[in-house]
Amino acid sequence: MSSAKQSTTWDLQLRQLLLPKLGQEVSECEDFIATDTQSSRFAVADGATEAFDALSWAQRLAQHWVQRKSTQTLEEFREWVAAEGRELHESWNGLTLSWYSEEKARSGSFAALVGVELELKSESPSWQAIALGDTCLLHCRNGKLLKSLPLERSDSFTSAPVLVASDSSLHESSMQSVVTGSGTCQNGDVLLLMSDAVASWCLQRFESDDLDVVQFLSSNSDEELRQFFDAERTAGRIKNDDIAIVRIEIKRSKN
Amino acid sequence: MYSAQITRANPTCIILLIDQSGSMGDPFSGDSARKKADFVAEVVNHTLHDLVIRCTKTEEVRNYYHVSVIGYGRNVGSCFSGELGGRPIVPIAQVADYPLQVKSSYKRVSDGAGGWVEIPVRYPVWIHPAADGKTPMCEALTRVQEILRGWLIEHPRGFPPTVLHLTDGESSDGDPNDIGRQIMSLNTDDGAVLMFNCHISSRRSTKIEYPTEETSLPDGFARTLFEISSRLPTNFLAAAAQLGVNTLEGSRGFVFNGDPSSIVQFYEIGTSLTGMTPYRWMDDRTELA
Repeated sequence: MSSAKQSTTWDLQLRQLLLPKLGQEVSECEDFIATDTQSSRFAVADGATEAFDALSWAQRLAQHWVQRKSTQTLEEFREWVAAEGRELHESWNGLTLSWYSEEKARSGSFAALVGVELELKSESPSWQAIALGDTCLLHCRNGKLLKSLPLERSDSFTSAPVLVASDSSLHESSMQSVVTGSGTCQNGDVLLLMSDAVASWCLQRFESDDLDVVQFLSSNSDEELRQFFDAERTAGRIKNDDIAIVRIEIKRSKN
Repeated sequence: MYSAQITRANPTCIILLIDQSGSMGDPFSGDSARKKADFVAEVVNHTLHDLVIRCTKTEEVRNYYHVSVIGYGRNVGSCFSGELGGRPIVPIAQVADYPLQVKSSYKRVSDGAGGWVEIPVRYPVWIHPAADGKTPMCEALTRVQEILRGWLIEHPRGFPPTVLHLTDGESSDGDPNDIGRQIMSLNTDDGAVLMFNCHISSRRSTKIEYPTEETSLPDGFARTLFEISSRLPTNFLAAAAQLGVNTLEGSRGFVFNGDPSSIVQFYEIGTSLTGMTPYRWMDDRTELA
């Protein structure tokens, strides 16, 4: 856990957890977390397993999103993704590929992305977020869920979500699924960024009200959480997928 | 049942069983230019291509599937030749690496601005058309049973094997009902082996697709194939719906008097496994070599 002093008014307490699929190495994990506590920008991207160079695409989207200076309009987001996609495809030039990799590369890469920026310089901190796919932002207060985007319920997750495509020819339709949102925070509020499998599990917990997820994620050590999620995935209660969690707690500064 | 995640540790098995008897050299009804054997070979090659692409992870093909292609006609045995020759079942990564040849062609794709462009593509060929001899269906199904028994000893968990059987005529070596039922009684922890049958016809006959009961079937042969066809699990029903194919709860994986489009859909639905979006491969292209 790290603590970042953001202003004279508010601090952020940040915690991250990244777990590969059961039976896979960390290097095979296609979820990617990017954080910039100075600009209070955070992102989680989840590369589509079936896509070509999915980790590079997820990494590029998350890292470059947090490095940007402001949250974009939908049109700016579309132009930015198109430019990032072009650069990704250029990085493949010169590769000698088998027939099957060549076909995969031709389809481009795909990833889900959620990014959130916090504004902490006022008495009432606020957030703005953008998402495409099934990585989610959950805004929690006093253990309750205030808002979730882009998906709101655990049964909304499908096996074929619309994702951020590196091939801009697909953007005409896919960008219509971009979701933006905003909210204001109080002392002690928690924002969770999560990749799909754990987000679905988390929303289920809120729906059935059988576990204080926010408390659970803060009171257990990384190792305890890893053991818990490994057991849940082994039992099939959580899909055997990569897990990425960013927990951001907004605290009034003691100074 | 039929919900196990397909992984490298728990792969599944897909057997494509193809009638290669002499009558497969006849054309489809109303389409004298297209022989059944030619079309089926093309669809099987595309199906193998699709399975490889699904398992491709950037520059690696992951062994989620073990694949067998068995033909029966003058001979009964694996249709693979070349590097894969004589092997009854092959991990998909080796299927990817050892096609008989890789052809070049053009594919029409959207240019992103409302138009189309043609781009060069390569596509592999594993099997060539064959049509010779009688229809030893029982011997072929016995071969499938042997392959499955061996495979299931090594892979007792995971998504059950799928057998996709395509034929254009009645068995010439007996009633396939018993051996078909024996195959359907094999299982993994996740369910019984799935066997789906597609009968294609050279005659102009009404096609029957994915029936729920045998009363609508015209003869004993159709009823036999119906009886040795598994019910479509929920995931496969969803795949059929995505393709616009009408199915019902209780529909069997069975087509009678199918036409070319039935064959394509049969393979698309039959390889949809855990509900993944069916791969549509019928795109325009111009062969180069």
